[in-house]
Amino acid sequence: MAVKKNRPKPWLKRLLNGDRTVLSRAISVLENETNEASAIIRGIYPHLGNAMVVGFTGSPGVGKSTLVNSYIKLLCEKGLQVGVIAVDPSSPLSGGAILGDRIRMAAQEHLRNLFIRSLASRCHVGGLSRATSRVVDVMDAAGMDVIIIETVGAGQSEVEIAEIASTKVVVCAPGMGDDIQAIKAGILEIADILVVNKCDLPLTNHTNRQLKAMLVLREALPDWTTPVLNTSAIDGTGVSELSDAIDEYKGVLAQRNSDGKDKGKKRMLRLLANSVADKVKKDLLETTSLEMDSICDAVLKGELMFNEATNRVIDKLLSHQ
Amino acid sequence: MVESESREAIIPRVLVTKIGLDGHDRGSRIVAAWLRDSGMEVIYTAPWQKIDTVVKLTQEEDVDVLAVSSLATDHLLIPKLMAALREAGYQHVKVVVGGIVPDADEAILLDSGVSRVFHTGSTKEEVVQRISEFAEEARKAPAVVTFD
Amino acid sequence: MTDKRIDNKHKQWQDDYKKMLPDDKVRSNRSDIKIKPLYTPEDWDSNRYMDDLGFPGQGPMTRGIYPTMHRGQTWSQRQLIGLATPELYNARVKQMIAMGANALSMIPCNSVYRGLDVDEVDPILLGTCGVTVNTVDDMARCLDGIPIDKMSIGLNDPIPFTMLAQVLAHAKNLGAPWKKLTGTSNQSDYISHFVANHMFYRIALKGSRRIQMDQIIFLKEHCPGWNPVSIVGQHMQQAGATPAEAMGLTLSTAIQYAKDCVERGLEPDAFLPRFTFFFDISISFFEEIAKFRAGRRVWARLTKERFGAKDPRSSRFKFHCQTSGVDLTRAQPLNNIARVAIQGMAGIFGGCQSMHTDGYDEALSCPTEEAALISVATQNILKDEAGMTDVIDALGGSYYLETLTNQMEEQIEAIIAKIDEAGGMFEAVENGLVQGIIGESALAFQEKVDSGEHKIVGVNAYQIEDDPSLRKTQPWPDPDVMKRQIELFCRFKEERDQTEVQRALEDLVAAARSDDQNVYEKIVQATISKATQGEIISCLREEFGFGHPLVMA
Ligand SMILES: Nc1nc2c(ncn2[C@@H]2O[C@H](COP(=O)(O)OP(=O)(O)OP(=O)(O)O)[C@@H](O)[C@H]2O)c(=O)[nH]1
Ligand SMILES: [Mg+2]
Repeated sequence: MAVKKNRPKPWLKRLLNGDRTVLSRAISVLENETNEASAIIRGIYPHLGNAMVVGFTGSPGVGKSTLVNSYIKLLCEKGLQVGVIAVDPSSPLSGGAILGDRIRMAAQEHLRNLFIRSLASRCHVGGLSRATSRVVDVMDAAGMDVIIIETVGAGQSEVEIAEIASTKVVVCAPGMGDDIQAIKAGILEIADILVVNKCDLPLTNHTNRQLKAMLVLREALPDWTTPVLNTSAIDGTGVSELSDAIDEYKGVLAQRNSDGKDKGKKRMLRLLANSVADKVKKDLLETTSLEMDSICDAVLKGELMFNEATNRVIDKLLSHQ
Repeated sequence: MVESESREAIIPRVLVTKIGLDGHDRGSRIVAAWLRDSGMEVIYTAPWQKIDTVVKLTQEEDVDVLAVSSLATDHLLIPKLMAALREAGYQHVKVVVGGIVPDADEAILLDSGVSRVFHTGSTKEEVVQRISEFAEEARKAPAVVTFD
Repeated sequence: MTDKRIDNKHKQWQDDYKKMLPDDKVRSNRSDIKIKPLYTPEDWDSNRYMDDLGFPGQGPMTRGIYPTMHRGQTWSQRQLIGLATPELYNARVKQMIAMGANALSMIPCNSVYRGLDVDEVDPILLGTCGVTVNTVDDMARCLDGIPIDKMSIGLNDPIPFTMLAQVLAHAKNLGAPWKKLTGTSNQSDYISHFVANHMFYRIALKGSRRIQMDQIIFLKEHCPGWNPVSIVGQHMQQAGATPAEAMGLTLSTAIQYAKDCVERGLEPDAFLPRFTFFFDISISFFEEIAKFRAGRRVWARLTKERFGAKDPRSSRFKFHCQTSGVDLTRAQPLNNIARVAIQGMAGIFGGCQSMHTDGYDEALSCPTEEAALISVATQNILKDEAGMTDVIDALGGSYYLETLTNQMEEQIEAIIAKIDEAGGMFEAVENGLVQGIIGESALAFQEKVDSGEHKIVGVNAYQIEDDPSLRKTQPWPDPDVMKRQIELFCRFKEERDQTEVQRALEDLVAAARSDDQNVYEKIVQATISKATQGEIISCLREEFGFGHPLVMA
């Protein structure tokens, strides 16, 4: 019996109509990478690219969730469909997790145009969960106008957010001197917008100046100057300015993207590279072999340079396949 | 954590919450920590959730088990919660209640579809074991959606 | 100077002990203080008597805050009660007065704790644990025929103290002068509610702080016999704080409130004598006694050193205590009678001024009448049969208890120092430091229970098949009776002068927005004008913010 080619699958129809039950279950399938995952990926592929994706990152406790809460309130009031992906760390010991970000977003919980999903990082380095980019896609297909990602506040290793979110908001808190050092090491580089949250506390302006000074060291872009904004997520100060800055940056992105559209593939390549690195690292740490032992030994004793050792390990891995 | 060969071993997801008027959260915090420490993913909320909100959370987080803590008569609302879950099409989600529940009320809760009532003094082993069994059962229920 | 003979014998005993008990396990109490098998003058020497103990009502106050203590006046037996409707409550109070009670106390329904009127909640939850008092009319029916100017009144009445406002309004209608009223606002400690009893936490921190101070100032002028501040350690201990932590955190809270009073221009000796405390008594017998003795000593010292108190009444650590419901078990519920008796003894030896003993069935439901009677009888047995009130601080001078008291004091001081360092209690709860401390202790204790290191009879030790018929529970309120209460409430609302209510609520809002008006005065006035507690609290939530606790997973 011939199947009619273009008849959309019932689940897909529901998903594209924004059905929350389908969306939620699809996220689970993608997260668990069960059998149905590839059907979902194939199904939604033609329906992507409509959502604006905004990432919020920064050290633990700087107020990311609270700030997201104020921001989504603004978006929801405009009648936009808003999706939030809140990533919290998994315990490296048990693999379990307590996902508490949405506690801070409880005030908006009842809104029908808001969909929040908590994900555990499942021990994936990089401040996100491995499935995050897929979850973004499926929310996009389900008609979200804006998708917000809150990363685990891991500090520096979260550059991965740059691959997924088109707009990256890096959040700091006043007077976190050491913290700023950590930020400098990596995530300052990816910031499209910098925020000093908790501006109701002392030292805000000091921290703001510090951040501006660091930005000077960064290579300037012709079309965008990273702003450093003060917000108080608790009383809402500065949140509409933040929202305006995000919108403005969206315009800049649209300009940039008008020339060349293979960004998706490049992104996929980078994500794949990360995923390969993850897997190789995990396998390496789990295997015990005499050969690896002797390589480590040699590096320790200075008989082998780190670079050479790396190449040797890669050769070994490839030859084993 | 020993990760199994395949990705078949799905991590259970549990919503730990409180409805009604009481706000004592020692019990729910301890249970949340127990579940995390035995490898589950726990979505944790503030007390005083409305029944509608619990249904929305159940939907958005696609949880397998809903654990409701009640220490001060709020369990009387549970039959209404069960009805709301059924109406929203979430009858596959297993609901457990923990805390102070008189015997006569326990029977009413079980009748309304609650899988289990854990009384004060329940052990970690018992709570974790039963909840993970319930999670497995919930996953085995006919799927709410199939993706083909 | 140690006695040579003691040294020798001590050594010999140690050897004997080790020989006979080679694998003796380390034991520690809930505050994680290691407990030795024997205490001697090496641990506590009576040369320290005057420094550590002194005499009752003097000096370090360790032995008690009054010269006569329980010989002069036994503690008030303040059984907290609350029955579903004002009429039922009134009948019970009259019965208790007939039996000789000279103080009354009131627990409101959970809906009242949340700041909701009877028409705002699912009726199934109404009156299950306390009385539904929403208006001055409800309060008048609660107190009908009771001489309120002759009884001390204890109200479980969190900020913004609407129950007290109802009592004042009722007194005004009766023509009873406010200056003659005495009593205590038992649950005025919003910090402890924010941290550990969220049900009582109604209005955001800053607003609560303002209203608390306004109430203190208002009562000082209009109702000076009232104790406006009761600082509650009970909630934090029940949420998992160790006894030492609970005491330290409570004293830090008291320091915060005292500082706030000073900031509002009050003299320490004008408000400190009206501070009272409210604690949990766990079954860790000696530890609880040491907790109270150490707390008394620290308070006496810090009122003088930090606040320059001169009036001796300022340094008296007056406390009410309640036997801990957390220690009671659902399994073998009658065993709880024994537990409550032991907890009660710890309260007495700790030198309490007032006590509530729990019903044995608290782990099953709200107490039945039978259980409530047994808990009162337990106090009477301790007081009149067992001779517990014959001697002041009867366990004082025990090498063990004195050592433990010193150790608890050290821990209490350490907690206070930690909170000081964090900028005071207000800041330490705002940023979750305190919640973190309590959460960790709760988990640590639970682990001891799970591992069986801490034994609980009937739960993780000595389990037997339970007889379900022993688990009698209080029946839920009759829905028809509750329905009538809702009808009365609705009629009250309909029949009042609406413009008057509107005006009073507008005044309240204006006061809340101003910096210099007294918000509590307006709460009392609004109550007199027949505004309901739900209306008052909702206005204040609008102005000051809803009381969301800091939830930490
Ligand atoms: N004073 C002040 N406190 C804030 C502000 N924003 C957040 N907070 C508080 O900071 C604490 C942490 O806030 P969260 O929003 O949970 O921070 P987070 O960055 O999401 O934390 P993680 O997800 O754990 O990394 C909470 O107690 C908030 O109430 C602010 O603007 N001012
Ligand atoms: Mg967060």
